Amino acid sequence: MLGAIFRDALKNLSSNMLRSGLTMLGVIIGVASVIAMMAIVEGGQVWLVKSIEQLGSNLLFVWKKRLTIEEKRLFAGRNLQLRYDDALAIRNRFPNLKVAPIIDIDSQLKTGERDYSGRMTGTSPEYSEIRNFHPASGRFLQTSDIQTWNRSVVLGKTIAEVLFGTQSPIGKEVKIFLGARKIQKKSDGTNGEKKEPQRVGEYRFTVIGVMEPKGEIYGQDRDQMIFIPVTTALRFFKGNDKIGSIVIHVPDRNHMEEVTQNLKQFLIQRHDGVDDIHIRNQGEFLGTIDKTISTFRYVLGGIAIVALLVGGIGIMNIMLVTVTERTREIGLRKAIGAKRQDILLLFLIESTTISVIGGCLGIVLGIFAAYGFGDLVAQSMPGGGDWGAVIQPTAIVIAFVFAVAVGIGFGLFPAIKASKLDPAEALRYQ
Amino acid sequence: MMLISLRHINKIYTTGEVAVQALDDLNLEIAQGEFVAIIGQSGSGKTTLLDILGCLSQPTSGDYWLHESHVNKLSDSELTAIRNRQIGFIFQTFHLLPRKTALENVQLPLMYARVTRTQQQDRAQELLTRVGLHNRMQHHPNQLSGGQQQRVAIARALANQPALLLADEPTGNLDSQSGNEILTIFDELHHQGQTIVMITHDPLIAQRANRRITLLDGRVLADESTESPTQPILQEI
Repeated sequence: MLGAIFRDALKNLSSNMLRSGLTMLGVIIGVASVIAMMAIVEGGQVWLVKSIEQLGSNLLFVWKKRLTIEEKRLFAGRNLQLRYDDALAIRNRFPNLKVAPIIDIDSQLKTGERDYSGRMTGTSPEYSEIRNFHPASGRFLQTSDIQTWNRSVVLGKTIAEVLFGTQSPIGKEVKIFLGARKIQKKSDGTNGEKKEPQRVGEYRFTVIGVMEPKGEIYGQDRDQMIFIPVTTALRFFKGNDKIGSIVIHVPDRNHMEEVTQNLKQFLIQRHDGVDDIHIRNQGEFLGTIDKTISTFRYVLGGIAIVALLVGGIGIMNIMLVTVTERTREIGLRKAIGAKRQDILLLFLIESTTISVIGGCLGIVLGIFAAYGFGDLVAQSMPGGGDWGAVIQPTAIVIAFVFAVAVGIGFGLFPAIKASKLDPAEALRYQ
Repeated sequence: MMLISLRHINKIYTTGEVAVQALDDLNLEIAQGEFVAIIGQSGSGKTTLLDILGCLSQPTSGDYWLHESHVNKLSDSELTAIRNRQIGFIFQTFHLLPRKTALENVQLPLMYARVTRTQQQDRAQELLTRVGLHNRMQHHPNQLSGGQQQRVAIARALANQPALLLADEPTGNLDSQSGNEILTIFDELHHQGQTIVMITHDPLIAQRANRRITLLDGRVLADESTESPTQPILQEI
């Protein structure tokens, strides 16, 4: 009996291919968009987590809080700010942690004809290990560089290419001066001879290494980084001992919380009891990203589900038309002995068949769309090379089940309407 | 023994504020094996009577006994079962399903009677052979002439060996020759003991029946019987 009804449904659908196809299209697009959206969001998450992990694992980031004017006034005279001393003290107090102070300086680099403006990072040898970022040729900073505040510089891959082209930069000289500081003219006023403007704070550095290519991670192109010893940066370019942040590697991931607490206490103590620093760990970053991704998942998934619902309304619409068109047939079937549930099933199986076939085609289209979009992202986004679509079986199952539910749900009303038709009236419907 | 017994049947249709009395205290008995023609002008209540006899709609009041069933007391699904097993319908417009073959159309009532597929096919083939369409079984309705389509409809009506064959203007859409062929089949069925109730507005066709009931304004105006129905009338036209 069910088999016969199913054959009837297929026959009716195939007898009006264009209409069935168009109705199905709604479901196909709905299912495909659910799968594609999910796959893209999932791919984005995988990519971001991977990116974060590439920054180096088990990391703590320490930086100073921005104090309000009141707080500044209140704490005036106390030992505030994050200083190079803090980094050294942490290193002494917690010998099992790897500690790297970080100070960012806007700078200009010049070699003969070519020059480059960008941000330079003063740090210590630990940085390379902590951030899992190593030199491709030459070497990274060494303890002796820090101790002697010598003028060594390690270049990112892109910068090495900009300044030296295909030549090896190792051992070559680079002039570095502050990028942000304005160059002042001599102001002796009258009758001044026109001289080359004196560059303030220009120093000759020797290139000791070129970093491996690493690409963009989390908004920062690591191939455009420049490293000099932190002591050199403070002495030649800053004139004080304030540093921007400290990055710390904790050997055991399970002790992150504990270490964070200890560090916090230690630093507050050093800062005369004022809590003027933030400490965040990578887990928190990942948590934030996870939340963001979840929001995306719900928003995009919601849009896709709406598309699927619209497809369902399409099914209902066309089934209502079909019921009206086939009123006389319904009357005849009832006259010769079709029960209400026979008629109900006849139409319900038809709408379900639309959604099942549409769902299957939608899965195929969704997989293609997801990979197509993944490729698009990979090509168009700098550093997005690893962002591929990740299709999870659960997404496919959810999309398919939802599509079938939509077919049944939206097919139910027309089917009930058909099953309740009065046979005498239906038979003579014009 | 009476197959059909109608007592004080009223049927009132209400459309909006206007109530139309389609059947007015109608009493009627039809015995097993009779070939009855119901005649009347349009609006006389013929179609309403057919709907009630065919269990397609219920009377507003009155009692209807078919065989041993008290029809006006039955539920919707019981009526459906009666339509399936006890009644065979033949319509003026044939009412064949266009996407099904002749064989599949005849199988339909058997399918709803939950007969197995092989039995459906055997019975349908037997019936189509009986109405002379043994070489048209796989044809679709649009490949058949009007007369052939009506013969398929007769085969379908007979599928579950109904107690009552109800025909609503069965020759209304046919030329006289095809119509005559259909009526000849009715004659044969009648001789085999099949009870037939046929609605027509044509008195000449009504002559083929052995009893003619004339309706007017929802009442029985005349009820006459002939022992031997006059055969050759149609052929003279």
